[in-house]
Amino acid sequence: MATLHAEVPQQLWQQAQNMVDRGWVSNLDALVSESLQRYLESHQEAMTEQFIREDVEWGLRGHD
Amino acid sequence: MIDQPTASVVVVADAGPLIHLDELDCLDLLNDFKQIMVPDAVWREVQLHRPAALQTSKAILLRSIVPNSSPTIDALTPLYSLHSGEREALILCSAAPLSILFTDDTAARLAAKTLAIPAHGTIGILIRAIRRRLRTKTEILELLSSIPRCTTLHVRPAFLAEVIRDLEQKAKNL
Repeated sequence: MATLHAEVPQQLWQQAQNMVDRGWVSNLDALVSESLQRYLESHQEAMTEQFIREDVEWGLRGHD
Repeated sequence: MIDQPTASVVVVADAGPLIHLDELDCLDLLNDFKQIMVPDAVWREVQLHRPAALQTSKAILLRSIVPNSSPTIDALTPLYSLHSGEREALILCSAAPLSILFTDDTAARLAAKTLAIPAHGTIGILIRAIRRRLRTKTEILELLSSIPRCTTLHVRPAFLAEVIRDLEQKAKNL
């Protein structure tokens, strides 16, 4: 497993802690992991297309 | 005159571009590189899904055994949900000072970006063929249009049409 060190706004941290306290998620590690997973999934198509746009530029103007 | 690609660049291929280029009968485009390293896990994946891609005489594919672990990439593997082939490809790339990763996997590209490894996909390799004068612009536009029909590469149709229009504009003088 990877270990993350991050600074987040106090209010966001408090909201996350409240979710854990109310039993929506088992602990903060699980919350951060699930949040990351959901972010990556929801942005996957946009990221894929951005990479293809970058490929057009590399294809036409790259140096390798 | 076309420059030779840097001989010292190490190209590492993930399964996607090998399979998709073979589906388009374009594996010869990889011949423009000195050799293509194929991690063992990727080799086995391609062998399972598209064995013909490995039997080609159109590109020099070098099956490569990868060191068991790399602490950095082992840490990134669960974070990006990388498969064994992508993991091995990143280990090979990170071991070489000048390397390029060919992959169509978004998570692998994100991980490569984190490691400052340049990464490109099938569409980039096809378009590069215009710059390298390995194919004409017309040929590449036809190949791009045939992606949904001839390959297992998933690209949203409206986005592919946008890419084709963009390429027609940007490659007007090529």
